[in-house]
Amino acid sequence: MSRRSGLPAAAAALLCAALSGCRGIQSSLDPAGREAAKISGLWWLFFYVCTAVFVLVLAFLFYGVFRRRSEDALGARERGKTYVAIGAGATAAILLLFLVVSVSAGREIAEPAGPDALKVQVIGHQWWWEVRYPASPANRTVVTANEIHVPVGRPVFLELLSGDVIHSFWAPNLHGKKDLIPGRINSHAFTAKKAGVFRGQCAEFCGLQHAHMAFTIFAETPERYSAWYEKQLAPAAEPSTPSQERGRQVFVSNSCVFCHAIQGTPAFGQVAPDLTHVGGRGTLAAGSVANNPGNLAGWIADPQSIKPGNHMPPMLMAPEDLLAVTDYLESLK
Amino acid sequence: MRSKRAGRQLLVCAALAVLPVGCDKLSNSLHQPPSATVRTDAIAVSALEPGARMPGIVHKNPLEGNPFAISEGQRLYDWYNCSGCHFRGGGGIGPPLMDEFWIYGGNPANIYTTIVEGRPNGMPAFRGKIPDYQLWQIVAYVQSMRADKPIASPPGPREDHLQASEGKESR
Amino acid sequence: MKDARSQRLGKSAERRRRRPRFSALLFLFPVTALLAAAACKGPAPPGGAGVPAAGPASGSAGSIPFPEPDESSWIRPAKDFSSSRYSTLDQIKSDNVANLKLAFTFSTGINKGHEAAPLVVNGTMYIVTPYPNYLYALDLTSPGAPAKWTYKPKTIPSAQGVACCDVVNRGAVYGKGRIYYNTLDDQTVAVDAATGQEVWRTRVGDINHGESITMAPLLVKGKVLVGNSGGEFGVRGWLTALDEDTGKVAWRAWSTGPDKDVLIGSRFKPFYASDRGADLGVSSWPGDMWKIGGGTVWGWISYDPQLNLIYYGTSNPGPWNPDQRPGDNKWTAAIFARDPDDGQAVWAYQWSPHDLFDYDGVNENVLVDLPIGGRTRKTLLRADRDGFLYVLDRETGEIISATPFAYTTTRTGVDLKSGRPIEVAEKTPHVGTTTRGICPAAPGGKDWQPSAFSPRTGLLYIPHNNLCQDEEGVQANYIEGTPYVGANVKMYAGPGGHRGEFTAWDPIAARPVWKIKEKFPAWSGALATAGDVVFYGTMEGWFQAVDARSGKLLWRFKCGSGIIGQPITYRGPDGKQYVAILSGVGGWAGAIVANNLDPRDGTAALGFVNAMGDLPTATTAGGMLYVFALP
Repeated sequence: MSRRSGLPAAAAALLCAALSGCRGIQSSLDPAGREAAKISGLWWLFFYVCTAVFVLVLAFLFYGVFRRRSEDALGARERGKTYVAIGAGATAAILLLFLVVSVSAGREIAEPAGPDALKVQVIGHQWWWEVRYPASPANRTVVTANEIHVPVGRPVFLELLSGDVIHSFWAPNLHGKKDLIPGRINSHAFTAKKAGVFRGQCAEFCGLQHAHMAFTIFAETPERYSAWYEKQLAPAAEPSTPSQERGRQVFVSNSCVFCHAIQGTPAFGQVAPDLTHVGGRGTLAAGSVANNPGNLAGWIADPQSIKPGNHMPPMLMAPEDLLAVTDYLESLK
Repeated sequence: MRSKRAGRQLLVCAALAVLPVGCDKLSNSLHQPPSATVRTDAIAVSALEPGARMPGIVHKNPLEGNPFAISEGQRLYDWYNCSGCHFRGGGGIGPPLMDEFWIYGGNPANIYTTIVEGRPNGMPAFRGKIPDYQLWQIVAYVQSMRADKPIASPPGPREDHLQASEGKESR
Repeated sequence: MKDARSQRLGKSAERRRRRPRFSALLFLFPVTALLAAAACKGPAPPGGAGVPAAGPASGSAGSIPFPEPDESSWIRPAKDFSSSRYSTLDQIKSDNVANLKLAFTFSTGINKGHEAAPLVVNGTMYIVTPYPNYLYALDLTSPGAPAKWTYKPKTIPSAQGVACCDVVNRGAVYGKGRIYYNTLDDQTVAVDAATGQEVWRTRVGDINHGESITMAPLLVKGKVLVGNSGGEFGVRGWLTALDEDTGKVAWRAWSTGPDKDVLIGSRFKPFYASDRGADLGVSSWPGDMWKIGGGTVWGWISYDPQLNLIYYGTSNPGPWNPDQRPGDNKWTAAIFARDPDDGQAVWAYQWSPHDLFDYDGVNENVLVDLPIGGRTRKTLLRADRDGFLYVLDRETGEIISATPFAYTTTRTGVDLKSGRPIEVAEKTPHVGTTTRGICPAAPGGKDWQPSAFSPRTGLLYIPHNNLCQDEEGVQANYIEGTPYVGANVKMYAGPGGHRGEFTAWDPIAARPVWKIKEKFPAWSGALATAGDVVFYGTMEGWFQAVDARSGKLLWRFKCGSGIIGQPITYRGPDGKQYVAILSGVGGWAGAIVANNLDPRDGTAALGFVNAMGDLPTATTAGGMLYVFALP
């Protein structure tokens, strides 16, 4: 390839990449919710208007560069005044339009969720997300981690809290950012308009593994959501094989229980993700790696090489115990 | 003119050389400390030795004074519920940790052994439950509690934090 | 940082400077007491007495339905099944109590908190000590009451690591020639009262779950009723009935969990709607948390032989941090009325649904028949941790009245329709924030220290606290056998600056008749007698007698260590009336002395140390029995 043809090719590739960035599971330009749609509408409005202004300004610039100085300098100055007046007026009008549109969009986004909204508590920890669904009676409370399931069409009211430092909740396909601040409860409401799986990410630097603090939102039909919820209510699945049985034994007799809980077993630790249904989750360690037996075993044996600095210490156990625990945890769908 | 420029270069070089030294404390502790090199098995609790006094073995916490280790130790001290009995060093169910009296010895290796083996009057044994590097982090935090020593890693209490208040009659 | 530190140093220096003044005062106290005793004429000056108010209560007073007529013995900590702590002995009267003299003493040799009531049966006095839970038998028929025998149970010292608030023991119970009591490491023992030989021993709990036992059992219809401690360790509470002859478990009623565990069946008829429903002990908790939810039974049990019901309370839910346990958290911080034969619940009521402040519901329930609304009602008096004095109908569990007897900012009242407390929302503690001015503090308007009721005055004599606290919620982590609290607390004196009060309460008019302010929490039990003298002890070590009608201080004696025990009285083999008390500071309030805690950390001992920093200058540890009589 000659040097000359390389440049347009690179430019084309860049354009493709830029455009493909608009689509995806973590993009504000691919809205899947009421609020994100407003935000993206606003964004596109800004984009079009700013593009028009940019083109206009450039046009005037070129006009200015290439046109000839007029003979009638005095008349030109008078006309110039008119242009300035028109330009200032138009700019003010555009700015006012922006203000009106963004304020109205902001108001719509900020509308409090109605009484039928689904309430979800999201608690940021270094470096994972605790997700709780408060309920009445209290024993219908669901606790999970790094995954938020919501029904399509129903407003979701998030209570954002932090267990340690400031984090920020950002699922661009559904809504803008909102900080999680220690000692405060911030609220955030969104409504998913279409089913899908969306990625979210901590958007406020919160320490070593800030970049590996992701979460997934599953927007599902109300039926699928209810089915998921009922499944989460159940205690952990009973071991069905000798290996899983042994895995449970290893889990509850090891220091795993110092931090983790598995409902239905004597594991009640409350400073690390609840593992009652860990086998049913898509990723491990807040979106760091895919959830599969290999990654899980690797994570248990040496979490520090997967996510250096995270708060899980390596578990020293015999290889067959490690396999048994992996087997057991993967069975907790 | 030339000498001035050389001087400036030297200064930059010196600054660059110093920088990693500052990071050293921190980066060291991100990896697990070389705890295997620390002997804890033969630490005496008693100051009384029959016969001639043996030359003492110096037991040092590899993480002593390391700010990162102390802050990690503080987190673990709460997570593993040390704070439930010893609170912020004043004690309660367990003895205080901020004064100069140590029932089972205040040497870092004594503290380490106390955590690992437990003590008969209520201290649980954490043997096999807490990894070694975390134990030394906790020991580093406990050592930092001494009220008569400056705090190596000061907690930055928010104005509305409980520790920021004296706790007295309201209004 | 440097500034903050020097500031702190400055403050401690200031505290040191303040100390001499206290010690000077302390030095003065014994002097005045000696002078008063030497004078022997008239009562001693009313040292700490408050202003006596209107005098005796309304004309018709309440009565004790189930008195224990034998005054030569004291066979259970509360004297009778009604838990009145009232004696009809009247040799010691308000006009001669100033002559009270020391008769004999006995050292227990233990430096922890002595909360027990001595027992007296057949000319022998029995004392249960704090851990290691020795049982001493003293011969009251010999001069100086020498020890007859000592029973030393085999216990696990590690149990001291799961006792939240000092290694106390609240006493024993006598029956069928045996002394029954509990050891800190979860054993119930029956000891032959004559020989000191062990009759049986049953392990009822496991320290590895965080369980310990500090309560005094009650013997009802051949069953020894025992409950566990460990509300700060994520223990699941229970009350267990053991056969008096064999020590075999007859039934166990859990405080949380499904109805079959809680022994809730067809007879269960709670008065309020929110207490009705199936398996509330599960559905009012998130997930499995009822399994580590507290509701331990470490307080007092009363018994109504006519209704055949026992009454007892359950402790705070675990953890303290309420954010971690949404729901009503049944049946913690509640009272149960049960049939002692099979343990079946008949009614229950939750003093603190979804408890926010460690308001255990374990305080004593004093059974009194009160003339209310023109008829005599079978009531139960409860001075609860929340600072309210409840009058309940003990047949149905209906609240007749609930009135604050201590300073409170957390509740404005109790809705008598729903039975639910009306809570002040801004006092709710949350994770990551500090809530200030919580009154009463976690030890409550009144903690375990039992009150006494005199049918002669119709007043309930309540030793209690005047404490407030700041609290910061933190994430609690459950590790079996370790504390499970989730709160940083700093306590301090309530309005007025004094930390304790001794209140005479008229339960019919629902108002205090008189109050005595105490420098430290009034952490000892009370004793009322027909001589119209009321006894209690202070944490400085004063054992004092006050006039039952006016609260005037009549006599006092400075014991070797602060008093947190329960006074008793009995007719000795020589026919004289004796009053006995164990001194020996400790317990939650006195842990700073008993465990040498460091006052520089205000959060120590669950924040109580912040309020008790000057106690080490006022008293030292050491268990000693003091027995008094008229010369």
